[in-house]
Amino acid sequence: MLSVLRRALAEVSLLLGIPLPGCLTPFAQTSQLQRRQLATAAVEPASQISTPAIIPYNKSIDLDPDANMPVQAVSVVQPVYLALSSLLPPTSRRGSTEDQIAVLDPSVFRTPIRRDILHLCVVHHLDSLRQGTASTKTRAEVRGSGKKIRPQKGSGRARMGDGQSPILRGGGIAFGPKPRDFSTKLPRKVILMGFRVGLSAKVKERSLGIVESLDWPGTKTRELEARIKELGWMKTLFITGQEKVPVGLERSVRNMEKLDAITAADVKVYDLVRWPRLVLDIAAADYFERTLSRKVPLAPDVI
Amino acid sequence: MFPSLVRSAAGKVHLLNLSPAEGSRHTQKRLGRGRRSNHGKTSGRGQKGQKSRSGNSNPRPQFEGGQTTIAKLFPKKGFTNQHEKVYAPVNLDRIQHWIDTGRLASSPTQPITARELLLSGCVHNVHDGIKLLGDGAEHLKTPIHITPSRASKSAIRAVEKLGGSVFCRYYNPLALRDCVKGRTDRLDAAPTRRTDIEWYTNWKNRGYLSENAIANMPLVTERWKALSGQLQAFRGQEFDKPRK
Repeated sequence: MLSVLRRALAEVSLLLGIPLPGCLTPFAQTSQLQRRQLATAAVEPASQISTPAIIPYNKSIDLDPDANMPVQAVSVVQPVYLALSSLLPPTSRRGSTEDQIAVLDPSVFRTPIRRDILHLCVVHHLDSLRQGTASTKTRAEVRGSGKKIRPQKGSGRARMGDGQSPILRGGGIAFGPKPRDFSTKLPRKVILMGFRVGLSAKVKERSLGIVESLDWPGTKTRELEARIKELGWMKTLFITGQEKVPVGLERSVRNMEKLDAITAADVKVYDLVRWPRLVLDIAAADYFERTLSRKVPLAPDVI
Repeated sequence: MFPSLVRSAAGKVHLLNLSPAEGSRHTQKRLGRGRRSNHGKTSGRGQKGQKSRSGNSNPRPQFEGGQTTIAKLFPKKGFTNQHEKVYAPVNLDRIQHWIDTGRLASSPTQPITARELLLSGCVHNVHDGIKLLGDGAEHLKTPIHITPSRASKSAIRAVEKLGGSVFCRYYNPLALRDCVKGRTDRLDAAPTRRTDIEWYTNWKNRGYLSENAIANMPLVTERWKALSGQLQAFRGQEFDKPRK
């Protein structure tokens, strides 16, 4: 399950000892916005964040039930932390002093970048789009009789059969294109890996943003365009984890070729590579984690 | 995230800088496209003869120029047993390792079945059933409760020494499928073949229809008790004695 920490960006960054990636960093405008948020972020007491001790599975420990020690299964791999962005402009009601951080699965969002896997997925997708309607006529299909053009011997010229031979002008085409299906099969797991690599590449290039919700209030194109220009999010694909794209966003981006909105179930690896920027909502990030995560399953508890 | 110390030469991932893996694509051999391609003119067929002609150059498939073909050299042998059963083997050391890593767990009322072994990855395919074998018995440390289709005598001995239990159950293909899928609405069929009946009513094999098993198994249905009685009735029957 995707978890969103309501912590100060600066605070967690200090505790973890790593520089946190901001939201998308396309233009100077956005990074200024980000810095302003950091400066006014509220500082919370450090005691709320505690790093649990990692106990190996084959060592039995005596736990004191009265002690106030939280025992929690911890992944040995560091998760991916991504600060949330916001499509809607920040207002006083939404509490902009507190920033939120998405805690993402590293097996989905921090895999090694495999361009050859992306190449396979993109080529597979483009092959499936081919119409495959090029057609030519063979010597059997060209209109004409089977009469021998000239006698076998005696004319002094090369021997010839019917007039539709590919050697002749007006004859059929030898080995020409015929309508065919250019689609190829690609193993399901390669496509899933393509999703993981595509998302990880976007995270690595700081071109992936997570927002709380993609419910845009208006339907007018110019309103959204103004907000997008303010954020510097042109050429962005919005991915929602709901069953349908929210109506407001869908109508606003309909006439814009530099923006698009799609559901997480419909998105393809080609889209992940093609669009320079991706913005996911929390439901979409959750959907990707549920479908793509690679965790070892453990035995269920025995009664 | 952490800035990479070695930046990829191609920069950002883009539709224009994707390429297949090195060595994954080989250029096609195109015949008859000029002398300098090394495959021009006769296109690798040599000069004249049956093999250089277009269409099929072989009289018929498997023809070896008149030499006795490989299919005719060796005599036919034996027959294929249609009723043969192939059991998926699983050894005791593998089960112990699965238990240690938390992928398998068992209790008398929740024994390890084909379903648990398949889903945990201990076996990759159940075939006609699971057979428990005794390789690596010295590594077995925990008492396990398992209901395979078959079990070797050494495996039974090793498991029971530690306080575990082995009971072999008859699974026909439908029953095995239901076990693996977790379906409990259907009844599992009883063995009908004489060899199966004799095997599963034998306590030496820990067959589930033997008297000892009916007495000791934690989960026993009334139907099995009745079956056990019915299937072993022949042991007490006698033909009419001839009058002297």
